[in-house]
Amino acid sequence: MIRLEEVSKVYKTSTRPALERVSVDIDKGEFVFLIGPSGSGKSTFLRLLLREEVPSKGRVMVSNFDVAKLARRRVPRLRQTIGCVFQDFRLLANKTVAENVAFALEVIGKPKQTIRKVVPEVLELVGLDGKADRLPNELSGGEQQRVAIARAFVNRPLVLLADEPTGNLDPDTSQDIMLLLERINRTGTTVLMATHDHSIVDSMRRRVVELQLGRVIRDDARGVYGIGR
Amino acid sequence: MRASFVFSEVLTGLRRNVTMTIAMILTTAVSLAMLGGGLLAVRTLDKMKANFMADVEVSVYLTDDISANDKACTQGLCQSLRQKLQGSAGVESVVFENRDQAYDRFKKIFESQPELVALTGPESLPASLHVKLKDPDRSEVIVKEYTGQPGVRKVDDQKKFLDRVFNAFNGARNLAFLAALIMAIAALLLIANTIQVSAFTRRTEVGIMRLVGATRWYTQLPFLLEAVVAGVVGAVLGVVFLVAVKATFLDSIFTGEVLPKITMLEVLFPVAPILLAVSVVISAITGYVTLRLYVRH
Repeated sequence: MIRLEEVSKVYKTSTRPALERVSVDIDKGEFVFLIGPSGSGKSTFLRLLLREEVPSKGRVMVSNFDVAKLARRRVPRLRQTIGCVFQDFRLLANKTVAENVAFALEVIGKPKQTIRKVVPEVLELVGLDGKADRLPNELSGGEQQRVAIARAFVNRPLVLLADEPTGNLDPDTSQDIMLLLERINRTGTTVLMATHDHSIVDSMRRRVVELQLGRVIRDDARGVYGIGR
Repeated sequence: MRASFVFSEVLTGLRRNVTMTIAMILTTAVSLAMLGGGLLAVRTLDKMKANFMADVEVSVYLTDDISANDKACTQGLCQSLRQKLQGSAGVESVVFENRDQAYDRFKKIFESQPELVALTGPESLPASLHVKLKDPDRSEVIVKEYTGQPGVRKVDDQKKFLDRVFNAFNGARNLAFLAALIMAIAALLLIANTIQVSAFTRRTEVGIMRLVGATRWYTQLPFLLEAVVAGVVGAVLGVVFLVAVKATFLDSIFTGEVLPKITMLEVLFPVAPILLAVSVVISAITGYVTLRLYVRH
């Protein structure tokens, strides 16, 4: 589903490459943690998959898209197959929960009937049925992140990218969010989550890819955050 | 493409920075009104030229000697002048006006100033040959050829005088176009600025739109349409302004006697559609370029 082949990325303003000869292969339906300290290249990794950046060298494949070679006008198609969740939720403050989720479908031109049907479904899936008409600032952090996940998942993406989704949440809420991501993973969606959170990685026992200074230093099928650290 | 979505985005965008929107519309309107004024001036000038040029004459004034003694242009010098003029290429007709006829005309012109008429006798007015040309633009030749000839006191070209009038009009027209251009630059910058502000205030939305895979049309069309809507409203206001100026001010000057009338039809067509088209095209291009330069996709 996701494959990086000898990918390097050098930013113009930096002397050191953000990623150096990174090769990772992630199958359909996998749940993968991407870990490493700040500046290790996690964000660059995710940005490459979304075509926010193009690699300096190497090949990036997401589903059937050869991301680096993708024509500009085809980029939206790629992004429609990827859902994104962030640490800061990125909800629209002036729209209700349901409107925030519907927005993601409206702007890619989905018909109204479809939107009316799938938005309640996905809100139920993330456990927010009954809060459809609330505004984001009336919700707790965990609930806001659920809205963001609902929005990322409502178009049934093949891949869900989560960049520190629990970074702003307390441990209990984080656990709930992880359960939700697991549930989404069980529907067949590939989940790639960048995180600093030791306890989550350790408790989930999923595949761990660790980056350090732009290189992959570890790729364990059932890893924990840091052995011997 | 969901039209309702795009339109609600456009409306919120325009409402969100109302002051900028109003400034944008007003500068566009003034600029277009100026442009429209210039276009009307061009049309009016053309009409005036057509009207007056047909009647333009070159007057060959004769010396006192002829004026006093040859009442019907039958004697040697005058007759040969007349025949020569009639034979010249480009001359349509030659009419002789003797001193008495000139005096009658003078009296009529200055009817309202009897003192002037009383002071002037026929003897102070020269007899003349009024030469009508096929092409008034070529009066130069006649003026050159007959100035200083025996029997000729002076040659007067009405076109010279008209040219001065036309120059004044041309100047006014150019001024209108210049003002239109300056205002257009202001309008352009305002449009560019408004789009940037608009894009900035909506950066979260646009960011999300990009992430979920909205096409560039979806993310940028609202901004583009904002500019175009402002352009259209500006054009309509500009035309309203022109119509108002025509009704309150121009109609009392351009009465159709000396200066040709400006009809309402002229303002509405072709001037109004031209203004609208110019406005839409320019605002759309400005919007597009601004988005290309400042807004990442």
